[in-house]
Amino acid sequence: MNKPKVGIYGLTSCAGDQLVILNCEDELLKIASRLDIIDWVMAQSKNDETTPLDVALVEGVVAQQRDIDLLKKVRNRAKLVIAIGTCACFGGVAAMKNQIPREVMKAEVYGDNIDFIDSVKAQPIGSFIKVDYRLPGCPIEKDQLIQMISSLCMGDLPEILNIPVCMECKMRENACLVVEKGVVCCGSLTVAGCNARCPSHNVPCSGCHGPIEETHYDANVLMFKQAGLTRKDIEQKMSMFSTPAWMQEKLMEEIKDESK
Amino acid sequence: MKVNKNIHIPHLGRVEGHGGIEIDIKDGEPIKVNLDIYEGSRFYEVLVLGKYYYEVPSIISRVCAICSASHTLAAQMAIENAFGVEVSKRTEFLRGLLIHGGMIESHSLHLAALVLPDLLGYDGVLNMAKDYPKEVSIALELKKLGNTLQELIGGRAIHPINALIGGFGKVPTKQELLSLKNSLSKGLEHALILVDLFKTFKISDYAESPTIYAALEPRDKTRYSFLGDYIITSLNERFPKEEFRKICHEGVVKHSHAKQSLYSGKPFMTGALARINLNGEKYLQGKAKEIQEQLLPNLPSQNILHNNTAQMIELIHSIERALQLVDLIINEGLEPEDLAEFEVHAGKGVGALEAPRGTLYHYYEIDDEGKIVEADIVTPTAQNLANCEKDLRVSIENLINEPKEYLEFKLEIVARAYDPCISCAVHLVKLNKS
Repeated sequence: MNKPKVGIYGLTSCAGDQLVILNCEDELLKIASRLDIIDWVMAQSKNDETTPLDVALVEGVVAQQRDIDLLKKVRNRAKLVIAIGTCACFGGVAAMKNQIPREVMKAEVYGDNIDFIDSVKAQPIGSFIKVDYRLPGCPIEKDQLIQMISSLCMGDLPEILNIPVCMECKMRENACLVVEKGVVCCGSLTVAGCNARCPSHNVPCSGCHGPIEETHYDANVLMFKQAGLTRKDIEQKMSMFSTPAWMQEKLMEEIKDESK
Repeated sequence: MKVNKNIHIPHLGRVEGHGGIEIDIKDGEPIKVNLDIYEGSRFYEVLVLGKYYYEVPSIISRVCAICSASHTLAAQMAIENAFGVEVSKRTEFLRGLLIHGGMIESHSLHLAALVLPDLLGYDGVLNMAKDYPKEVSIALELKKLGNTLQELIGGRAIHPINALIGGFGKVPTKQELLSLKNSLSKGLEHALILVDLFKTFKISDYAESPTIYAALEPRDKTRYSFLGDYIITSLNERFPKEEFRKICHEGVVKHSHAKQSLYSGKPFMTGALARINLNGEKYLQGKAKEIQEQLLPNLPSQNILHNNTAQMIELIHSIERALQLVDLIINEGLEPEDLAEFEVHAGKGVGALEAPRGTLYHYYEIDDEGKIVEADIVTPTAQNLANCEKDLRVSIENLINEPKEYLEFKLEIVARAYDPCISCAVHLVKLNKS
């Protein structure tokens, strides 16, 4: 079987998801032997920028015209485009204040002389191109990455995980931070995959993997209310990593209704 | 014959983030030397405005993955500084350990995956692995050690979740710490093998030029350290970290989404070489001291390519110090401990530490409710950009008659020696409008 030709790209980002690939120390050489990574600027200096790709992994948020151009070029070259990380999937922290016009932000940071700064509203890659699979996480989890690469080598994509962090948290037998301590924990609204990392360190989930597709809205609303939490508390906490996605969530409406 | 050349390296490979080099040479003179930074802007200083102080460390950590532990800790220390929070001895030791984890990971990634291919003549670490399997696997082991450490103390190798304002969420168990100690001892042996390989390389001097260096003075003035409250420079100046704007006078340059720092109108360098130059002879101990005497006997060095050598020395130092810290933490006891208590009030705070690429400064102004009203972050790469352009200029002058491709390769090596972290540089500092 031919090795899949792969390109790995970073748009505007912290490079954390590409770093997770480099952090697969035990598996990196095996991964390199199963894939034909022909274009990866972060890790190699000679890159093939034209050959068609079987798979493109794209990290980061679209925050400038340059990102849009690269993204479209990648889409045209690749059979499959996979969003890696919460920025590419949902917008990430950079999309937190999209209500503020870019011109205002530019002036705030760079002063008056701002014409040369290339900047557009921060958006996930799905706003510009068709995305074939999303692997969220800030950063992505190594185990999920390796599972995905294994599936790709078999000509397949992994199943989409649609369980909340709470499920993994219960499996680890942690005490519930919302019920026991009344703190804002986003575990019930956030897609799993991290093995409940934060709650297992006594730290509430901040929703860095992005929203779960379906959730028990009524039960969530009831639980948050009983813990004395308001819509504002939850909205504030959840808006950190995936504002565009969270804001469309039915849940916000439900909580709003409840608080009427 | 007068040389005319246009050099354009559109995309620097094997660095973190997106940057390039653009150079015009006319009549043998470099008339334009630009390190272009075109990573997109995320406007972090605007993002944190109006956020509660406790949200800041995890937002700001996302400036950069490789430096996420440094950013998290610098933000936490700045906020603690604003509220007057005192943390326990054990928290200080755990933070030290986290910093060393970041240092081990970052330095070994840079040395082995990004620099070694240049020295051995490969385009990247994956192709190098075919001929140098042992060296590459050692390098990966070291990188893994840094990540294991960050995973254990920080709760995650990238963007730590366990380090909090006032302490830590969870303390590692004795068993976990003892197993870490084991890995650290093995890591030290591995790092020494890498040192032997580095000893065989002759470091070129085409980029050598007079440079001003700046670093934090070790807080505990008995040993080499990445924590300190005073900034010292090679001009024999010393001032408190709160006055960091004295050294980081930032300005906007047209070819870059990152601002540049000048110190009294001159470029300066921060990072491993600055630290070894200013603090190495005085404070290094143990094996790190021996290695420094072997690899860099004549300090100070004004050759940026020695930054890689300085990182090698620091890699050894970090492993040795991490071993000591594990014992110190076990001695303090591993009982669960509440976070340090404090009252939220209006205030200003500065957090500074030596990140892998140099001194990192965070400044926050907080209102009565605990919301951020002003933020300023000055990263090492932003501080180094002007100096990097200076070194590129010197290199061109020394290599002007070399063929274009060779010159391009040599210039990339200079930029890479800074271990530039372009995501960090484009965090974008708020302009001082006064």
